[in-house]
Amino acid sequence: MSTEDQRAAAASTTVDTQTTTETDNGQRTPPKPHPARRATDRGSNRPLPVSVLTPPTPPPPPHLDDYQPIVGQGQLDTLRFLAKELKGKTIKMVNSTAVGGGVAEMLNRLVPLLSELEVPTHWDVITGGNDFFEVTKAFHNALHGTSYELTKSAQEIFLMYNEQNRARMQFGEGMVVIHDPQPVGLIHSREKSHAHWVWRCHIDLSNPDAKVWEFLRPFVEQYNAAIFSSQSFARQLPIPQYLFYPCIDPLSEKNKELPDSQVRQICDEFGIDRSRPIVTQVSRFDRLKDPVGVVQAYKLAKKYVDCQLVLAGGGASDDPEGAAVLQEVKEAAGEDPDIIILDLPPWCALEINAIQRASTIIVQKSLKEGFGLTVTEALWKGKPAIAGAVGGIPNQIIHKLTGVLVHSVEGCAFQIRYLLTHPEFARSIGASGREHVKENFLMTTNVKRWLLLFRILENAKAARGKV
Amino acid sequence: MLNAVNENPVMRKPQKPFYCNTSEHLLRIGREKATTLCELLEAMRRCPDDSIFQHTFRTLQEHHFIRQGFSNDFAHWSLSACNEPALAEQLASVDVREFTAIEGLRLRMLEIMDEFLEKHPKSATHPAHEPFYFCASDIVVLPTPFAPDSLRGFLDAINQVSVHSIHHHFIEARLRIHRMSNDFSQWLEEEAGLPEAADAIERIDFYTNTMEGVRRQIARIVSQAMNATN
Repeated sequence: MSTEDQRAAAASTTVDTQTTTETDNGQRTPPKPHPARRATDRGSNRPLPVSVLTPPTPPPPPHLDDYQPIVGQGQLDTLRFLAKELKGKTIKMVNSTAVGGGVAEMLNRLVPLLSELEVPTHWDVITGGNDFFEVTKAFHNALHGTSYELTKSAQEIFLMYNEQNRARMQFGEGMVVIHDPQPVGLIHSREKSHAHWVWRCHIDLSNPDAKVWEFLRPFVEQYNAAIFSSQSFARQLPIPQYLFYPCIDPLSEKNKELPDSQVRQICDEFGIDRSRPIVTQVSRFDRLKDPVGVVQAYKLAKKYVDCQLVLAGGGASDDPEGAAVLQEVKEAAGEDPDIIILDLPPWCALEINAIQRASTIIVQKSLKEGFGLTVTEALWKGKPAIAGAVGGIPNQIIHKLTGVLVHSVEGCAFQIRYLLTHPEFARSIGASGREHVKENFLMTTNVKRWLLLFRILENAKAARGKV
Repeated sequence: MLNAVNENPVMRKPQKPFYCNTSEHLLRIGREKATTLCELLEAMRRCPDDSIFQHTFRTLQEHHFIRQGFSNDFAHWSLSACNEPALAEQLASVDVREFTAIEGLRLRMLEIMDEFLEKHPKSATHPAHEPFYFCASDIVVLPTPFAPDSLRGFLDAINQVSVHSIHHHFIEARLRIHRMSNDFSQWLEEEAGLPEAADAIERIDFYTNTMEGVRRQIARIVSQAMNATN
């Protein structure tokens, strides 16, 4: 971890990670201009608009009152009341990167909101050499089920950097939240602090490499509580385990309301025809997102209904596998002028927002998935969503009530046909999907969960004191 | 359809204000998990009360925006993961309003499961598409800024509190007061002397309504009662 990253963490309230590449998988890539990649547009190889080739200036983070028109005064009153009970107490969040990836993006919004509620929240980032992050990346993959030979050397590197960070950090806060496995060893400071220690695991532990998990488990068991993103991601542990769904920020560039004129302008720039139905999948060019399956489903559906297919994603410019998948998708698309493939740079949040809003249906036909925040984004925009029944997607899509779940190319094709020809039903599931997000998957709900957890841990401590 | 309210009720000045509270829940992942209907049945027998509460009462709050087709998590899983529509329909027909304690609700669910699996033994061990994970909630009850001591103030509060507050007073209340009623009806009857409005509110069908729809119906019944007493 560079000192630049630490400085960025210290100034965390102004960092906008939409200007950086995704690094949840351990990659640590600074933002760089996107190569002037071409979008395949109606067979014409239309270049990407110049406006998306360099990162935009990030807007300032929103304040709590900015959420009032979205979630209502009652929700904000609840947050303020919960926070009032915690006044004078502080929180520390620790993770492994200040920029890039979903965790840093979430902390960038969460930390200032908690602080605005007068529960001062400090965000610290662990440091380490390349050897540490190579080990933690391997751990990350192993916890997702990739086979891994856990060596003594890897264990020593992991422990050494955790000890170095432990020696450097102070833990005077009332609640310490450690995100993901990289800093899990900081728990050894628990005895010297009076804090509640919470481990927030953002990754799927349902099928971990046994040796890596057995190495990490003794650390995890020392925490007061663990938090997972889905019931299915949890392990059997002797400590309370809570469910915090990942969330989206309705005021971010990716999710804020957009005027129709802006949506139209962006669609025009990408060659998307708004006068005809648009079926969209937004995802990296990754086989687990099954973009080729989406092309096949579109082609089956197109025999019966007119539509365009937009595949908007990234990951092909800095990932050889992504480039190979993009090529496969182009081959599957062939010369069909109604398939629009967009390899976008990672800072195109506003453009993604506009494309999602212009879409008639949004597809996320993943074969394997974490939580699937692209589904959350689609539901928030009131769009009827068709998604693979994998990972955290069934937490979001209640079949035929807040979207539709599919298990095959044929199922996906049928649902595209059905939703395009039954607009009332499509509107109804889209509206319920938006309410589902409003209730369960917004940033304000996430803030509430942290305040509730802090309060519940305080109450439990007080109850233990009385015994 | 709104229930009729007496056109000439005798309203009295409430002696006590109605303290509007709300409850917030933090979802805890439980230890029990089921991959077949047989495992679901066994886990339902031994899981804590707060798990039964979570998957019946509480899930209604999480899904308050759905008008039809969602009753409780056991029914939903029986259909979506086990493809057993007949069992799902029976479980979905269990109305939490008929219970003032979790144990009675649990016994009713177990009775339905037992009866179904006795008639359909092959269904008992058929693997589900996805597991059922038992959860529970840690609950924190919070005050709101609303404590009306008049019918007009009561109506204003109904229109302004969060749907969580409506759920707290209208649905979860019977577990707290151990009566086949709800906090709104109890206050209208005991404090405002409006038993018919109280009864009309108690008969609102929240299984075929969103919680916003329930709020609107309560407000209309209270408005009708106010107009009738003026």
